[in-house]
This record gives sequence, C-alpha cells and structure tokens, in this order.
Amino acid sequence: MAVHLPRLSTDRLRYSSIAKAGGHPFALYAKIGNAFIITALDEAADKAGLRPGLSLSDARALRPDLVTQAADNAADLALLDEIAAWCERFSPIVALDPPDGLFLDISGCAHLFGGEIEMLRALKHGLRKQSFNVRAAIAPNPGAAWACARFGQARIVTEDNLQNALAPLPLFALRLTDEAAALLKRLGLESIGQIMHAPRRPFTARAGQNAILRLDQALGRAPEALHARRPPPPVFALRRLAEPILTLDAITRVTHDLCDDLAAKLAQRGLGARLLQLSLFGVDAKTRRLRLALGRAEQDAQTLARLFKDKLCRAPENLDAESGFEAMRLDALEIAPIIFHTTDLAPAAKRDLRAEARLMDAICARLGAGRAGHVTLRDVHAPERASYFAPFLAERTHSAMPAPTPPRDNVMRRPLFLLGKSQPIEVIASVPDGPPARFRWRRVLHRLVRAEGPERIAPHWLHAPSARARDYYRVEDQDGRRFWLYREGLYEAADLDAPPRWFIQGLFA
Amino acid sequence: MLGNLEHRPIQAFEASHGGFHAAHSAAAHSPLIEIAPAESSDAPAALGFALAWLQAGALAQDGVLLWAAPEHSFAEHGAPYAEGLAQFGIDPRKLVLVRTQNQLDALWVSEQALSLPCAHVLCTIAHSAKSLSLTASRRLLLQAEKSGARCVLLRFDPLTPSAARSRWRVKAAPSDHAVGTREIGAPSFHVLLDRNRAGFATQSWRMDWNAHEHRFQETPHAGYRMQPEGTANDSTGNPLDGGAFAALIH
Repeated sequence: MAVHLPRLSTDRLRYSSIAKAGGHPFALYAKIGNAFIITALDEAADKAGLRPGLSLSDARALRPDLVTQAADNAADLALLDEIAAWCERFSPIVALDPPDGLFLDISGCAHLFGGEIEMLRALKHGLRKQSFNVRAAIAPNPGAAWACARFGQARIVTEDNLQNALAPLPLFALRLTDEAAALLKRLGLESIGQIMHAPRRPFTARAGQNAILRLDQALGRAPEALHARRPPPPVFALRRLAEPILTLDAITRVTHDLCDDLAAKLAQRGLGARLLQLSLFGVDAKTRRLRLALGRAEQDAQTLARLFKDKLCRAPENLDAESGFEAMRLDALEIAPIIFHTTDLAPAAKRDLRAEARLMDAICARLGAGRAGHVTLRDVHAPERASYFAPFLAERTHSAMPAPTPPRDNVMRRPLFLLGKSQPIEVIASVPDGPPARFRWRRVLHRLVRAEGPERIAPHWLHAPSARARDYYRVEDQDGRRFWLYREGLYEAADLDAPPRWFIQGLFA
Repeated sequence: MLGNLEHRPIQAFEASHGGFHAAHSAAAHSPLIEIAPAESSDAPAALGFALAWLQAGALAQDGVLLWAAPEHSFAEHGAPYAEGLAQFGIDPRKLVLVRTQNQLDALWVSEQALSLPCAHVLCTIAHSAKSLSLTASRRLLLQAEKSGARCVLLRFDPLTPSAARSRWRVKAAPSDHAVGTREIGAPSFHVLLDRNRAGFATQSWRMDWNAHEHRFQETPHAGYRMQPEGTANDSTGNPLDGGAFAALIH
C-alpha cells in the first residue's frame, strides 16, 4: 500500500497560530537559489490559483492576503515518521518515502481489517481524523501503488488489472528523474501505456536505465525492496479491535489472543520467542510499547499470556489507556529454536528445569530484569570489586570464576556479607601493628577477644593508584560476633598528615 | 508422598527430647519455619544460620535455593559475598538471589518459588517492614504444603504470630577454643527453639556449621548454653548478660 499525504507540510501547521489566521490562503516557501519560492500550499491557496514554484513576491502580488511561513523539511520528515509510527497498527512493515509518502507492506494483514477495501478506508479515515489530506492505494508492488495513490482512479489494483490501471497514468507516476521525464515528454510520450510495450533496448538507450527500472518495478517485472522504518519482526500477531478497549481486563484478553496467535506461528516453525514486544495503538494516535525478555525461548501461549498479564497488572496507570486502544500487535523480536531436553527417567532427578526457567521469567517479567540473579566472583583483588550481582538477563561483561570449595577446617577467611561501602569505626584502644582492642560501630562498643591477621591487600594500581594498602583482620568480639576490619595506611609509613584509619567492611555469620 | 512428609517428622519431633539433630531433622521437613536473631546485632548470625539450614536441605534434595529479600535489607547487614558464600559451603552460582523493591514483592517471589516442588526458599522480612501478617505467612505455608517445598522466613521485624511451624532464635556464639588462643573457629551459633507447634520448645543448643560436609555439629558446652526463662541460670561464667538473655526469650 502506498500512502500519499499531498499537503503534509501545510497540514502540519494547520492549527498553528499563523495558519489559522482568519482562513486566509497559506503557503510555505523556501530559499532556492537566490529567490524565495513557494513550496507548499494549502487548499485555499490552491483554489486561489497559486502553484508551487511560483516566487514568493509573485504569489503575494496575486493574493495580497496570503499567509506565508518558511518551510521546515526536518519537521516535515519528523511528522512523516510519526505518521509512519501510527501506521504500524496496520502492518509492522512501514517504509518512509520522503518527502510526503509512506509504503506499507500489508501482505498477510488485510484480512484482519475485513479485507483490503476496509483496511484502506480505516487508514484514510484515521489519518483524516488527524486532519491530514491523504490518498492511498493498494497494488501488488510499491511502484504501482505509488502511481495509483497519486495519479490513479483505481484505489485497489490487483495483479490482473495492473496494466489497465497503469496505462492511462502520466509518466510522472513512474517516479522518473526530472531529466528522463523531460526527455520522454519531448519525444511526445505522455502516458505509461505508450511506453509499456516499447522495445526495451532502444528505449533504455534513449530514456536511461532509471526509466526502464521504474517501469519494470511498477509492472512487477523487477523487484523492489522496502526499507522498513524498523526492522520487521520475524514473527508477529496483530489484532484490530472493532471497538476501542479501555479496561485492563479487555487488554489482557486481547493479549491472550495475540499470544495464542503468535504461539501457533512459532510452533509451526519450531521456534520460541526470547524477546517480545507488545504494541498498543491508542485512539489518540500514540503507541505504547511493552517489552518482555525471557531467559529461554518460549512458545507456550499460556506462559506468555501470564507473563504479559503480570506486566500489565503491575503498572496499569503507565498504559494511560484513557482514550482506548484500537489495535494491538505482538512481535517476537528475537526468536530461537526450542530445544527439547530428553526427560531424565532416573527418579533422583526431581528438578524441573523448565519450571525453574519459567519461574525466573515470571520474576523478571514482573519485577524487572535486573532483580534476580547470582552473586558472582571475578578475579580481582579488591574485595568490594571481587564479588558482584549478575542479573540473569544482563549482558555478561566479566568472566565469572568458579567458586572455591569450603576450607577443610571450616573456618571462613572471607565474610558472608559485605557492606555496600566500608564504614569507618571508632577505635577505642589501639594497639600498634595489630587490631584494636576495642572499637565502636553503629554506637555499639565491641571488645575484641580473638583476631587473626593481618592479610595485606594492595590497591589496584590501575583503578585506584592513590589508594593506600589495607591490612585486613578477622576479629571476634566478646559475644562471638565476627567482623572483617581493615586498617588503611600503615604505621611504619608514619605519615602524620594521614594517620591510619580503621574500617569495617564485612560481617561473618 | 506429601502426606508422609507432613506427618512423619512430627512424630519424630515429639519423640525426641534432647539432641539438636533430632529437632533439626524434624523441623527441616516442615514446610515453613521462621528464624530470627536474638538481638539486632545477631542479624548476620541469623542470616548465616538460615542459609546453612536451607543449604543442607537443598543439597539433600537437589532443589533450587532461592533467597528473596527487599533491597533495603542489604543496606543494613551487607549483601551476600561470593567468596564468603563459597567458603560457607554455598556455591554462589546455585543461589538465586532476588533483590526486590519492597517487602510485598519479596513475599510474592517467595510464593511463586514455593510452587516448585524442591524449592528451598529464604524470605527476608526486613526490619523496617510492617510486621508480617498472619495471612501472608499462611499463604506461604499453604503453597509450600501443596508443592512439598520448604520455606524459611528470616524475621527482622517485630515478632508477631505467624503460620510458621517453629521459630528459631539465633545468636552468634564465640569460637570454641581453649582459653588463651586467639584463633577464630568455624561459624558457630547459639540456637533456641522458641516456639514449636509440634511439641516441646525452649530448648537451646550451641552448634558449629560444618561447611565442608554441609551439616550442623552440636558442640555441647555448658558455659555457653542458653537456657529458657524460669529455669535456674546456674552456669558460672555465662557470657550472656541479662539484657541479651531476656531479648532471646521474648
């Protein structure tokens, strides 16, 4: 399907203060060469006999009440992109065709809207409601659709009547370069019908490669790929809703239907989805998107629906569903083959790895991907950097080290818990070259009964070149509570400006 | 099978008066227990005891070990440290840690996890949270009973009645060495069985955690023995002062 928005730039400013001023004709101009040239007109200006290409002063002479403003191509393109985003409710494959057109690949989508005619009507109606002038046509290939949207009478062209529909159209309808169009006009050729069956060799020699390619594309003799605005999802399911839906209940129900559709498509291909995106197309022309990442490829509709339900129920206000949604689409953005593990028949293996993976997916879907994971060890000396929390779905940036086995004597050399940040302690009775006899932490006085150390851990020369060496002690107070303390700075260094300081970094069980 | 698990340990529980192992092996089969520190500064000991308790069970059953805790609870006592976990006998790669935004999420995660038959779930009830409601703990109990999973509630909140089958109060215990040595020994706890729906309570023990073999070792030591309120505190040199002792019992 090709969509043409002939008055995109003036429609953009329709409700702005300038254009609204008293129903005067409105035009946009741009500086081309040394002159200000009219580039776009609204309907009133068009009726007044103005044409693009006229110089600004001529136009003002013709219509003294003409309201004008400088054209802004970037804003036009941004608007076109917004419209393309809106159009994604009809098909996931939408391509921009600047300056004022769009292409939609609607293969396999039309039946969801009750056929091509209904789909075309819905799209045009939707865009007109947003006060855009719009023309659109459906044809077997982008070239023909482009031509019919702009110049044709027929709105729906099929393979059978393609030639008949294109024949009467002017040559401009072929998206020719200006030179090629001018040349053909000089040759007295006006319509596509006249060149449709021209002998190829001589025609190519005269009109150029571009002309024959465009002709072939319009007739479906040469392929033309669309450059979709977003990479099209490998698998998707789409639902258009007869009535806009507002309630969470209805949304979850439609989501469930979408999950069913998607799961069926995935199952056909033996695939599962790892990353899904639910798009909710609002009546207010805004699109909400909801992503769901999974730990493993999943193709079970019930599971997917449950995860989305969790996500939807969690923050219904984020959906902002006040005006309702008129279409919903579920894309599988990342797919992977489903690997079926053979069932272990040994009775000892009671673990259900699949259920475990589903549990993790459910947790990540509801709480966010960064919340569940493992504590992981890496090969770094600084204790606060050696252990880190690695969420399940995050990218692994460091290689994890295998964990050491517990020591034979069951004595722990490293604390079970590490404080987020080392906290300074108040040393009451210090002993040179040893751990303090008493210290105060969080207003509690601890009298140390046992201590082992020191264990010197030097700072990382690259990450913290100015840090001082630390001497770590494992200590136990009178009640058996065990702490991991360190002294920063050394006594023998005898630096009077920076005397050694004591910190607590970890707690033993 | 679930029925068996339900009833067998309770008989064992009533039958045995004395050893920690009898009480432990009985309670280890119950779907929901709670562990609380004797004093707030015993939180690391309680955490360690809870982890050790679940690890012993998870290894025996080859189940998932999951710990759900609200994020802010780690600010107080620190976050689990990979190397420390490994030395404590827990492979950090096998401990699933879920750091939730709030207490409610932690309970939700625990309930979800308990639907796995062999799950061993530790749920931290943070100090700042509202006290755990009876309904919330009943939900966990029902889910655990249904699937045969085990749940330990680690309670830092003011202790209110819950659906837990038993309550264990934990206090750090000094290293058990001859006087004079300054060496620190294996992780060591004073444990008091404070409440017990299945029978006797207010028994206390002192034990070490054998991380290498993943089991508790009772180390009877008269001087460090905790005793329930009302009985004569005849041991001399009891390191527990009056305040700590009272906190332990209530």
